[in-house]
Amino acid sequence: MATKIQEPISIPMTVSVPYRFAAGSYLTKCLIGLRDHGTLFAVECPKCKRVQLPPRIVCATCHVRNERWVELGLEGTLVAFTIMYLPLTDPTTGKPHNPPFVYGTVRLDGATSVLDHFINVEPDLEKIRVGMRCRMILRPQAERIGDLSDILYFDPIPG
Amino acid sequence: MKRNVAIIGGGQTFHAARRHDVDQAEMVNEAVRAALNDARMTMDEIDLVILGNMEFFEGTHMTDCWLVHGTGAYGKQGLKITTGGTVGATAVVTAAHHVASGLFPRVLCIGFEKQEEGDTGAILSGVAHPLWGRSLAGAAVGYFAMMGSSYMAAWGATEEHSAMVAVKARQNARKNKYAHLKLDIGIEDVLNSRMLSWPIRMLDMCPASNGACAMILADEKTAKARCKKPVWIRAMDTAHNEQFELDWRDVKTTRPIFSRTCAKRIYRKLGVQKPSEYFDVFEVYEPATWSELVWYEDLGLCAPGEGFRLIEKGVTEIGGAIPVNPSGGVLSTNCIGASAMLRVWEAALQIRGDAGEHQVPKDVRRALTTAYGGTNWTVMTALSRTLDD
Ligand SMILES: [Zn+2]
Repeated sequence: MATKIQEPISIPMTVSVPYRFAAGSYLTKCLIGLRDHGTLFAVECPKCKRVQLPPRIVCATCHVRNERWVELGLEGTLVAFTIMYLPLTDPTTGKPHNPPFVYGTVRLDGATSVLDHFINVEPDLEKIRVGMRCRMILRPQAERIGDLSDILYFDPIPG
Repeated sequence: MKRNVAIIGGGQTFHAARRHDVDQAEMVNEAVRAALNDARMTMDEIDLVILGNMEFFEGTHMTDCWLVHGTGAYGKQGLKITTGGTVGATAVVTAAHHVASGLFPRVLCIGFEKQEEGDTGAILSGVAHPLWGRSLAGAAVGYFAMMGSSYMAAWGATEEHSAMVAVKARQNARKNKYAHLKLDIGIEDVLNSRMLSWPIRMLDMCPASNGACAMILADEKTAKARCKKPVWIRAMDTAHNEQFELDWRDVKTTRPIFSRTCAKRIYRKLGVQKPSEYFDVFEVYEPATWSELVWYEDLGLCAPGEGFRLIEKGVTEIGGAIPVNPSGGVLSTNCIGASAMLRVWEAALQIRGDAGEHQVPKDVRRALTTAYGGTNWTVMTALSRTLDD
């Protein structure tokens, strides 16, 4: 009797794991400011003077404690961007972002760090450029929950 | 180094998108057997086993335990390495440190990934800060896209330049029998491939591969007694970046980022003045086309902002003055946990003269390899044919 060659067996499986992360003392202070007052606070290193966002307890370069809090403005400069055409899953919600959409890396005025976020602009290369000025737009206060999603996106500043 | 360390053997699997014919242990075992055969050794002669892969990319933890029959590590000393894209190189460096300690004369190191068994993108999002930016951390492609937009804005390169890197990689891969993406393509094919995340197109990115690589490292006494063509590890270095501070997306940054810091230190250890002349071949870790151009600059093969001129002039082709990734690189084969080890093993093959069709057509005495991964860090390894090189 002829034996049929079998396909190797492979078994599908889904693992879903819940987590709950502590923001810690420094980030909590920053997120409460964002939620309750619409402010954004970073910390400045006493030694190298780098203004670090998200605020963190120790400067990675100097290994000293960051103690001075600095309020940042909500405007900054786009240092890099992309137009995303893939339906990327938002790992924090499990839902896809709707492509195409623009996101980029913004350096807020006065900060040495950068922040990645959505840029509220059409996915058109004529309308986006590195060096473009932009302003952070927050959710209305009643809807803010104290995480990074309180920032909706950056709006380009005309000019 | 105080005690010399040599690569006395190695091997790899054929790399592919689909390997349902084997489980993880069976796949790893293919590379282990190839390495033992190459070194003419048996598992009994191995003192320590280092295994590297990325936890959870294929849904598994503690692979050092349950792949133990495939790795050969049962009853032996050893440890597990998980450092992102650098895994394979970190495994080599860890193995080399153990040999150099004088405690373990013969060490087997292994890197593998079976990407098809899991969701690499989903697990990769775990490298992002859970509360600050993870929402956009779904795929590496967006990061490399931003790097490309920054590079073009800073230096005036175009999408044709990144396409040239894509073509070089896949044409080189056609000469490498183990490579995954062997594509007979030209610049137009790259520019016409599907846009993923501007300016990154399908052919600008590495594939998701399954595969493994294994190498045997030994002390000088063993190497000289047992191996006809030992390849010597002359220097190693590692450097990290700082999260949220700019990295490869701000190509004009003057801060000492990981890649330049690491290159500077390894060159100082070896007394390298002009890397493009000192080394005969380079194997760099380029998950996307743009990263190869930035490697040229950060390794000092050209001045900042001139990387795209090197690819334009064909300098980094197999037959060029500075061959980079004759194997086809990560752009042609990315089995993550093995990718950084493949850079070292491919460089060793070049020095031995055993690279076959993708052997660079010149005397190869020295090679430099890089790794890349995690949230921007690298491991570099410099190799030579003799201890006088
Ligand atoms: Zn500092």
